[in-house]
Order: sequence, then C-alpha cells, then structure tokens
Amino acid sequence: MPEILPDFSSSVKLKYVKLGYQYLVNHFLTLLLIPIIAAVTVHLLHLGPDAVISSVKSIHLDLVQILSSIFFITFISTVYFMSKPRPIYLVDYTCYKPPITCRVPFSTFMEHSRLILKDNPKSVEFQMRILERSGLGEETSLPPAIHYIPPKPNMEAARGEAEVVIFSAIDNLFAKTGLKPKDIDILIVNCSLFSPTPSLSAMVVNKYKLRSNIKSYNLSGMGCSAGIIAIDLARDLLQVLPNSNAVVVSTEIITPNYYQGKERAMLLPNCLFRMGSAALLLSNKRRERSRAKYKLVHVVRTHKGSDDRAYKCVYEQEDHQGLVGINLSKDLMVIAAEALKSNITTMGPLVLPASEQLLFLLTLIGRKIFNPKWKPYIPDFKLAFEHFCIHAGGRAVIDELQKNLQLSAEHVEASRMTLHRFGNTSSSSLWYELSYIESKGRMKKGDRVWQIAFGSGFKCNSAVWKCNRNIKTPIAGPWEDCIDRYPVHIPEVVKL
Amino acid sequence: MVLSNEESPIYDIKISSVGPGHISGQDAAQELTGMDLAMKLHYIRTVYYFPAQAFEGLTIIDIKETIFNWLDHAYIPCGRFRKSDSGRPYIKCNDCGVRLIEARCNMGLREWLEPRDHDDDDAKHKLLVSSQVLGPDLFYSPPVLMQLTKFKCGGMAVGLSWAHVLGDAFTAASFINLWGQATRKQYPAQPLRMAHYNNEAQNSKSPIREPLSVKRVGPVGDHWAMKNETNMETYSFYASWAELTRLQSSICGDKDKENQQIPPFESLCTIVWQCVAKIKRDSDVKMVTICKKDSGNSFEGVITNKAQRVKVVKTDVPVVELSPIELGLLIMNQAVDETKIIEEVMDSDNELPDFLVYGTNLTFVDLHDAPIYDLNIRGHEPVYVHCGINNVGDEGVVLVFPSREDHCDGVRVSVTLPENYISDVKSMLKKEWSLCSC
Repeated sequence: MPEILPDFSSSVKLKYVKLGYQYLVNHFLTLLLIPIIAAVTVHLLHLGPDAVISSVKSIHLDLVQILSSIFFITFISTVYFMSKPRPIYLVDYTCYKPPITCRVPFSTFMEHSRLILKDNPKSVEFQMRILERSGLGEETSLPPAIHYIPPKPNMEAARGEAEVVIFSAIDNLFAKTGLKPKDIDILIVNCSLFSPTPSLSAMVVNKYKLRSNIKSYNLSGMGCSAGIIAIDLARDLLQVLPNSNAVVVSTEIITPNYYQGKERAMLLPNCLFRMGSAALLLSNKRRERSRAKYKLVHVVRTHKGSDDRAYKCVYEQEDHQGLVGINLSKDLMVIAAEALKSNITTMGPLVLPASEQLLFLLTLIGRKIFNPKWKPYIPDFKLAFEHFCIHAGGRAVIDELQKNLQLSAEHVEASRMTLHRFGNTSSSSLWYELSYIESKGRMKKGDRVWQIAFGSGFKCNSAVWKCNRNIKTPIAGPWEDCIDRYPVHIPEVVKL
Repeated sequence: MVLSNEESPIYDIKISSVGPGHISGQDAAQELTGMDLAMKLHYIRTVYYFPAQAFEGLTIIDIKETIFNWLDHAYIPCGRFRKSDSGRPYIKCNDCGVRLIEARCNMGLREWLEPRDHDDDDAKHKLLVSSQVLGPDLFYSPPVLMQLTKFKCGGMAVGLSWAHVLGDAFTAASFINLWGQATRKQYPAQPLRMAHYNNEAQNSKSPIREPLSVKRVGPVGDHWAMKNETNMETYSFYASWAELTRLQSSICGDKDKENQQIPPFESLCTIVWQCVAKIKRDSDVKMVTICKKDSGNSFEGVITNKAQRVKVVKTDVPVVELSPIELGLLIMNQAVDETKIIEEVMDSDNELPDFLVYGTNLTFVDLHDAPIYDLNIRGHEPVYVHCGINNVGDEGVVLVFPSREDHCDGVRVSVTLPENYISDVKSMLKKEWSLCSC
C-alpha cells in the first residue's frame, strides 16, 4: 500500500500543477487586466467623484477633434469588419446508406476472393490475412457489379453506381435542409478514381436542372483527402460570392476500380474500399446562422508531393498482366506520420491554447540550445478539440494517429466504428464519423471537431469545425438503425 | 433437341452470392444430427418453371432484393460447414449466402418443356440447376445454389440445388416456398430452425446390427460426393390419378375381395420393382429401400432430415416369381424401419462413417405430397416442377413427385438407373403397364 500511494499522490499533484499552469497561461491577459482595472478603480474612488468630473470637464475638445475621433473610430471598425472573412456555415449534411442488396458479409468477400484468385494461393493467403485484421464488419457494401464472380465492371455499371450514390445523398440533403435546386450557386463534386465525360458535377446539374450560371467544379484524381480540398475551394468561393449556397458532394465510385489481378501490394484496396458518399450544404448567408450545425474555423492543407518517396507511395499503375490497380508502398505509415507532423505544425499555432504553445516553444528552444536529447514536446490536442474524425483509411492509419496524437479509445471510436460499419468510404468517411458522434448525442454547442484526411500525393488535409447549436438525438442518418449496437469490440484477428 | 453435339442453349452465365440482407446468423454454430450426416452425399435438385408474368418488370436487382429479404428468415442454409474439435461437421451461420447463377436460354418456355422422344430427355432439366457438390474446399462451398434462367419468351426457370445434409425434399420445398411469400412481402414470424441434435446417444449401446439400407463408402474426406461405377441415366413418365387408380385395381384385382388395398405409391413401387427385377435377370433385386415422410410429427418451420423414414424391404423368394399383389403386400407389411439404426450407427461410431443411402439398393422415394407447387411468385404458380435426386448409388432411385400435366393432376415418376438398363425398363413399362413419358 505505501508503495502505491506516493505514485498516486505525485500524479495528482502533477495534474493540479498542469491545470494551474494551463489556467495561468491561457487566461494571462485576463489575469493581467483585472488587477490593473482594480487599481485604476481604487485610485478613481480615492480621488472622489467631484475630482473625476472636474478632470473630465477640463479636457477641452472642440467640434473638429470630436468629429475626427468619431470618423476615425468608425473608419477603423469598418475596415475591421469588412476584412474579416465571411463566416462559412455548414447548414447540414447527409451520408448515403447503401441498400441491403449491396451487403457483403466478411465470409462472402473471403469466399469470392478465393474463387476469383484460385490459381494464386499465395495471393489468396495474403488477402485472407489482410481481411482478418482489417477491422471491417459484416455490413459493409459493394456495388452490384462487384458481387459477381469474377466482378463485371463496365462504364454503364460505374455510371449507375455514381447515379445511385450521388443522387440519393443529394435527395436526402434537399429533404433535410429544404434547399431548392435553383438556389444552388456553387456545386463541387469530388470523386478520385472515376472521371467520365461529361463530369459527375455535370451529371448532377443535368439531373436536378440546376441554373445555367452555376459555378460547378469536378475534382478528380486527388485521393481520399479531396473532400477537404473541396471544402477549401467552397470556402474561397464563398468569400468572393456574397449571400450564396454551395453544395459539396464527396464520394468514391468502387465499380471501375476493383483490382482484378494478383499482385499483393495492389490487392489491399479491394479489401478496404466500400460504397459511400456524403453531400454537404455550405453557406455564407446570414439567415443560415441560426439553423446551421457547424461553422468552419480552419482548413489546413499540407502537400508532401515534392518528396519523391511520398509522391510514389500511393500510385495507380498497371501490373505485369496489364491490369490497373493502386500500388500502396510499404512505407505508407511512415510517410503518413511525416505528413501529419507537417500538418499539425501549421495547425498547432492556430488552435492550441497558449499554454501548449508556450511549452512547445520552450522545449523547442531547449532542444536547440541546451540539449538535443530532450524529448520533443507533443502538444496535447485534446485541449484544443472535443472530437476527432480521423479518415477511416484502415486500421493501421487509425492506430498510428492514436499513438502520435496520444488519443484515448473514445476519441478514435467514431473512426473505428465507421471503418467497421461502412469500411473505407474514402473522402466521405469523415462525414460518417461526424454523424456517429452526433448520433451518440456527444455533440454540444461550442464543441470543436478536427477532421484529418490523408490521400495520394501524399497529402494531409485537415478541417476544424465549431458546433453552432445543440444537436439532439435521435438523428436521421446512416447510423439510425444500428447506433444502439455500437460501440462494438473489434478483435485483433477475426476468425473465419 | 440434341444436347450433346450442338452448342448449349444456355448462355450469358453470371455467378454471384446472395445472403441475408441484415445480420442474421451471428456466427452461431448449428449442430447436425446423425441422420443429417448420413445423407450428406446426396443432393436434391428441383427446377421450377414460371410463366413470363411471374417475373415481369423485375430487374435482377429487384429479384435479388426479394431473396435478401427472404434469407433474413432462413439464414441457416446460408452458412458454411466447419468441423468441431472432434471432427464432427457443423454449420457456422456466417451469412455467407446461397450461390446465385443467372443465365439465359435461347428457347421459349413452351418449346423447352415440349417432350421429345429421347432416352435422355430429362437431362435437359439438369442444365437449369447447378450440379456443384460440397467440397473439396468444404469450408467455402455453398450448400444451396439457385439458378435463374430466363427464356426467350420471358418465362423463368428457378433451379434449386439443395444439399441433403440440410434436410429432406419436403424441407427444401418449404425453404423455397418462403421466397414466394417474400415476393408478396409476407415473412414468417420465426426464422427457419434446425432440429435439435440430441447427443446423449453418443454413449448409448452399440446398435443391434448394420443397417441394410445404407452402404459404407469412402472415406470421402471433405469432398461430399461419390462417383458412380456406371453412367446413370434418368427416364420419367407421368401418371394421372385416374391412371394410378387403374394400376391399383389391376394389381389388387376386384375391389370386392377382402384383399388389402395397395396405395398408389406402393403400387408404383411394385410395378417398377418387378420391371427392374425382370430386366436384371442375373442379379435379382431382392432388397429395396423405401423412403417416406413420417406422417406423425409436424416439422413446420424446421429444416431437418428427421421427418424421413428409411425402410428396407427384403424378399427371399425371387421377385419374378411373385405376383404383383404379393409384392405389393410385402412392401406394405414387411418393410423394416431402419431410421433409428442408421442414427445409432452414426452416433456411436467416433469415426463418423460416410454413408450412401439412395441407390445402395433400388430406392423408392415418396414425394407425392411434397408442397412443390406451393411456390407462389407474386401470385403465380409454376407451370411445371421437375424434381431430381443426384449423386445416388448404382442400384438406382425412383422418385415419385406431384405433377400437373394437360390440366390433370397426377404424379411424375422419375427412374434413375445405370444406362444399359434404362431403355429396357422404359419399353417394358410401356408394354406391360401402358406407362410412357408422353
């Protein structure tokens, strides 16, 4: 007993010291101002009311000086308010829920893989091992063309999937927000691997008969982090166009991208990528302020493409048989960690409280000047954010980020459960995760959310949102019928 | 329609899997009874023919949706086999699904069903149902396969391949009848379950004797099928109820007499047994197996092999010397029920023998009251249903199942024998009993 108590008491002491330090630094200005104001008030009181009034009367101001002061103050405040960026609101968003006809249980996927690759037992073994450890559940979905043995992808099926997935999400968005098609000013669709002509955004314009002066964009080839790139683009456009609505659709079309060969490094995406999409309504209209769910605070984009290793780490290419697939290099995790470090180096000063920044600065100075062997201080991002949405790229990605950012299991729960229920839905996975947090009733007004996405290039993009209003459960969304079953325990290895 | 030399009339084949639409089986382990494992080498293959209106306007996704919804309530056949530590197979209900084969036929439905005077006419039905067996990759083999073949006119053939280890033909019929209900948005209150395996019998006394109705074969290992020594062929003929009454009276003689009446199924057994015995002069057919449904217990909502009674009939006198009525009475009264003995042998032997049941002796299977015409797709009944039991022993199998031909109810009798006996049996049945396939 005596051995445990000192540890306990010392860790409690440390905790209080930390809290005290944080409070001191974060509220430094307030703590500085209060004594000054107190001192001034005491002095004034000491002087007495008559002395105060007479000293005020003695300040002779003529009309010109008064007018100039007022003009000056008005001028400064106008400049300030005009140059402030327009607030961008996320009014609402919807996620696509695939129908039951697309369900692919674990066992079915394994069995099909065995049958398709039956001439390559080593590749079958590899794929089985990946699947056992993938963290996917029994309800992920693949498009109808991929259910066949062997899969039958063609352009018609790919367009079919795109139509179903995108139009369902947009229909739901219209229903949820009351948005009319003619009110859409900006349309951005991002889908990395399927880029037909006419583009997917043209397909949306055609389906919903959108206005002829719509500003439409189609982002392709930009990987799983393209969702945040689309939001960044929408934000920039909404700064320029006053009083506008922007619809962003993030998706990945699985049908044409199923790898049909036997190279092991290229089989991995087959195991993880699943159907999904999300549609968001962003607006800078003042009247949306009351009903918007979130406000966009920061977007930070980091591109490591200048490094050859990072550039080639997610690479689409043909294998020896001429079959196209995505080659994932072995140092993917290392590169992801480096990209993340770059991103948080930029993000840190924007969001971290002053206490963490000061500590980081002091440790940095200390390492540079005194002793390089000091451990680098990893700022505690849990102080800056209440919720984390880590792109559900795979179990390894979530594990890596949990370790690097020192997050608890509850912080990464949304990511893990999204990977389990929906698989890796690419750029839309961040929205399934956000929907999970809302469905669990954990989102309150003022909560800050950090969305981190990785993608080919190699890019690490993040977005910070602040919750604008309390969000009450139950909410209609992709988790509606299964949220009560979650969280589930995901075993290290699933026995088939 | 000559099948062997020309191109197959079936084309555009696509294979996929369809399972429960929602998490259903939850990886539960479903144990198999001794009788289930005794039947594991046989497969029931039924083809249902539907008119164009049954599936009109439905895309393949619409049809698959009805199947996904159906299998939520019938998830046990969607599982896969695993082996427990003792080596005993069981089913893991992992929602893997049934294999679905889509195909097209370049003929119209009516043209296809037109009977041709060809010895192997029944082989055409085999093109519309999968002949896949369980194994050698047992853990990844589907016990149930469905084939949907679309005819040129829009008609559809639904071919169900059902592993006998799951249950008997009555069970298979009630399994797929649930699909019909699903197309009309009706679902059962409880999902299908399997009969409980009572493994107290593990420690019971060893059985009295070795059963005569089954033969030990193998070991087959994980490949649950047997190869026949000779090529088997199938020939079938139709008999309306009126025809059956005529056969009954010609066997039994006058109704006025005190003789016991022989029911239609047993009459057919008598007739075919005698024909086969006469043809196979050298190797007299002294023993037959009769499989009938247990009329006592109800197995509603259960998929099982427990409802089938396996009986053996033995004669010491050569069959050719017996009159039809004597043979008929022998079948009625001297049949020995070996079901319990078979179960005891399966349960007591730790090695789990591989048994061949159908075809060990000339086997007669009574399905005349199987609910095969109860498969109702969106209000439409099948125009014709053809049953078959595949992977049977060399002694042959005679299957009696209900049939509706020329607007008349009756039965179709399907005779599977080694190919050198088939044409002789066919001509003898026609000559002596006026039974033909037309």
